[in-house]
Amino acid sequence: MDSSSDIQTQSLLDDVTAGIQTGDDLGDRAGYAESPAAEFGDLVGTIKALHAALTPVEPRPEFVASLRADLIDGRPGVFERAQQMPLRISLAAALVAGFLLFFLRRLFDSDAPQEIQEEAVATPL
Amino acid sequence: MKNFFSRRLSHEDLDDRELVALAKEDAEAFGELYARYVKKMYSYIFHRTGNTQDAEDLTARVFMRAYAHIGNYVDRGLPFQAWLYRIAHNLVANWHRDQARRKIIALDDYVAHSLQSEAPERMAEDLEERDSLMAAVRRLPEERQQLLLLKFIEQMSNADIGAIMGRTEGAIKSLYHRTLLALRDDMGSTPEPGQQRRIDGTEV
Repeated sequence: MDSSSDIQTQSLLDDVTAGIQTGDDLGDRAGYAESPAAEFGDLVGTIKALHAALTPVEPRPEFVASLRADLIDGRPGVFERAQQMPLRISLAAALVAGFLLFFLRRLFDSDAPQEIQEEAVATPL
Repeated sequence: MKNFFSRRLSHEDLDDRELVALAKEDAEAFGELYARYVKKMYSYIFHRTGNTQDAEDLTARVFMRAYAHIGNYVDRGLPFQAWLYRIAHNLVANWHRDQARRKIIALDDYVAHSLQSEAPERMAEDLEERDSLMAAVRRLPEERQQLLLLKFIEQMSNADIGAIMGRTEGAIKSLYHRTLLALRDDMGSTPEPGQQRRIDGTEV
C-alpha cells in the first residue's frame, strides 16, 4: 500500500511526464521544486532522459509493403479455400477426390504386374 | 472499379471495433487494421529487441498470429491495440527467453535510427548517455520495460496502459514511480560489463 506522500509524488511525476511530452516543462516550475519527495528533482532528470531516448522508430517501407502483400494480397492455399466453401460443396469435393484416388490406385495396381512381365520378357537371360 | 474505391474508403472511415468484426471474413478490413498499427508494433518491438532484423521478424509474427486468430477475437471492451500489444509482448518475452544466453544486446541499430539526424559533434556524448540509459532500461523486468515504452513512445494514458497490462490506473502510476526510482539508482551504479542482473532486486 502506497503512503499519501507516495501517491502525491506519483501524481506529480505523471503531470511532469505529460508536461515534458507536450513541451510544457512543469519540472522547472517553482511549485514542483517543493515536492514532498526529496528525490523528485532526480526523477525529473530521469524522465527527461527517457523522453529524449525513447522515440518512435519507423519500419522500412519495403518491409511494411512486403508484409502486407504476404498477409492480405497473398493467394489463399487449397485448404484455406476449402474452408471458405459451403459444407455441401466441401463434402462433394472430398468425395470426388476420394473416388479419384481410389480409381487411380486400382489402375496403377492392375498395371504393375503387366509391367513386371514385360520387363521380364525383355531382359536377356 | 467504383465499388473497389468506395469499399476502400469505407474501411478507412470505420473504427477499430467495426473493422475487427469485418476482418473475420474480409482480408481488406484486416489490411486497414494492419495499416493503422504496423508502425506502432514495429516501434514497440524494435525498442524491446534493439535490432532491425528481429523487430521485422517479430512484427511479421504479430500480424500473422493476429490474422490467424482474428476469427476467435472476442470484444471485451478493450481497445483492439491492447490485443496486438499482448501478442507482441508474449512474442518478445519468448524471444528474450531464446536469447537468454546472449549477454549483450546490440544497440548499433538503435543508435543508427535515433541519432541519424543529429550533428556529429553531439553524437558521441549523446550516444554514450543513451547507450547507458537504454542498457538500464533493458535490465528492467519486462513489465516495466513495457510500461516505459507505452508511456514514452506511444504516449498512452495510464488508463490505456492499464488496459493493455491488465492493471488498474493507480497500479500503473505506482509502478511508474518505482520504475523511475530503480532506473535512477541503476544509472548511479553502473554494472560490470556482462553482468546479468535486474535493477529491482528480482532474479534474471
